[in-house]
Amino acid sequence: MAHQSVPPIRQTPRTKNKWQRQMWVGWLFVAPAIGLNLLFDWYPMMDGIYRSFYRWDGYSTAVYVGFENFRKIFNDTIFWTAVTNMLFFLVMSIILMIPTIITSVILFRIRHMRAQYIYRVLFCIPMVVPWMVIILMWQFMYNPQYGLFNRFIELIGMPDMQQTWLGDSELVKWCVIFMGFPFVTTNAALIYLGGLKSVSESVWEAGALDGVGPLQKFFYLELPLITGQFSLNLIGTITAAITGYTTQLVLTKGGPGFASMVPGLYMYFSAFKSQKYGYASALGMVMFVLSLVITLLSLKFFQKEESES
Amino acid sequence: MSINFSKIVRPSYTIAEFAKHVVIVLVCVALLFPLFLMIVMSVKDKEQVVFSFFTIQPPFHFENYLVAFSYISPFIMNSVWMAIGSTVLTVGVTALAGYAFGKLEFPFKNVLFWILFAKMMLPGIMNLIPSFTLAWKLGILDTSLPVILFCAGTSQPFWVFVMRTFVAQQPQELFESMRIDGANELQIFRYLAIPLLRPMLALMSINVFVSVWNDYIWPLVTIQSFDKRPLTVGLAYLTSAHPGDYGMLTAGYVIAALPLLVLFFISMKQFIEGLTAGAIKL
Repeated sequence: MAHQSVPPIRQTPRTKNKWQRQMWVGWLFVAPAIGLNLLFDWYPMMDGIYRSFYRWDGYSTAVYVGFENFRKIFNDTIFWTAVTNMLFFLVMSIILMIPTIITSVILFRIRHMRAQYIYRVLFCIPMVVPWMVIILMWQFMYNPQYGLFNRFIELIGMPDMQQTWLGDSELVKWCVIFMGFPFVTTNAALIYLGGLKSVSESVWEAGALDGVGPLQKFFYLELPLITGQFSLNLIGTITAAITGYTTQLVLTKGGPGFASMVPGLYMYFSAFKSQKYGYASALGMVMFVLSLVITLLSLKFFQKEESES
Repeated sequence: MSINFSKIVRPSYTIAEFAKHVVIVLVCVALLFPLFLMIVMSVKDKEQVVFSFFTIQPPFHFENYLVAFSYISPFIMNSVWMAIGSTVLTVGVTALAGYAFGKLEFPFKNVLFWILFAKMMLPGIMNLIPSFTLAWKLGILDTSLPVILFCAGTSQPFWVFVMRTFVAQQPQELFESMRIDGANELQIFRYLAIPLLRPMLALMSINVFVSVWNDYIWPLVTIQSFDKRPLTVGLAYLTSAHPGDYGMLTAGYVIAALPLLVLFFISMKQFIEGLTAGAIKL
């Protein structure tokens, strides 16, 4: 390769030479990325589709069972409990996107630039603290014996109001949601802020000249201007709510009973606790299709809204 | 810019402006409260955690940090190697591919690009179990290789996409002039593309590093040996192994949070600018 760097006397037309050289260099440059992606991303996905039609415990020979795994899933009460819980988390996390939007607009409207910068720095801090630390701190706060909430209830003299929090099948889902308090996703807030800041100053000046009130400004200027960022965050939120389960795995293990079980966690347990790899793959495929469909539908819905308004 | 702005429009401290500050400050307080609690608890011994939960008073038990550090320092080192390995490999292959897709012409370019682009759009939930069996078949379970290789395989499509867009926006003349000067493609990549891509590479490195640092399920599944576990898995294990010893545990959480916080405060400017710049590209 290095020897070619000395330009040869141009016998062949330069364009053809260049084309050939670029061809090999191009392939060489993309080969590692494509290779890694095919082997470690595409292949597992395809293998998952294939495995979902088999019964396999990970050791003995896999047995082809057709659609039996999917039929079982449909009649699996744990699966339906998990789906119900998942829908609860999904709806809540979409509703709880609103505080982030409001916060970012308020932050944007703060005119003191120095203060705004300091707030942005503070907003970054939760992003660089490992998620595991945040989950474990909340687990500590919910701890019935040592945790913040029960100690606080004791402190204000209402010990009969103490709860088992994560151990209470009625409360556990709300506890998982409340972990997001104050329901501001800071990286999303900073992305919205970046979007608002990229809008030309003249838009805001025109709005000010027209005497637009703060609420009108929110609904007619700021909100439409961040639709792009919003739909991107929406996809992320939906996908995370449907397929995510790290929080549940660390915090509750899906319990008590199956009160906080979600399909992703059920897939995890089916594979790594019950060794039902085929069944787990089928569960994965159901979620895969589900999140794809819901994402596409919601994108379509929001794009329609956008074009109508 | 901020100076000019404040000169033109002096911040007027009306009630509305004040209310905005109040709201944002309250949000910040709520956001940072768990971290505040973490630091407060980290200097208490078992008795203080139970009997003086809400007070901050001596004696402060800084030895919690020593105990916690002896537990989690191996986990931190494991995480550091995993995160560095993943970042170097992922950023390397992404930069090469992003440059090639952005500025070179070669047959099947679009097909190859679509392989990555389609994967970017598809949810990754199905991958866990087959990835595990693949790592098993390759015989790399119980090493950091699954984390590094699968990170490089799955996290690059988005960044190749971003890099391609960025490279394509650079003026063609820059690249042509180097070619005319007789540089080969590798030299062009090394001496022109890499410096141009530097801000993007920094942003991507931070993102990949943080995502590997935070990853829990994949290393939990692939690494069995206790002493090879990364920080996230180690912390969760430590918490279940020492119930009630929240002074030592929270000290461990503080130590676990420190490396990234330090990195953040060193590179704060690029970090925040990167976030904003990334948003504009959307």
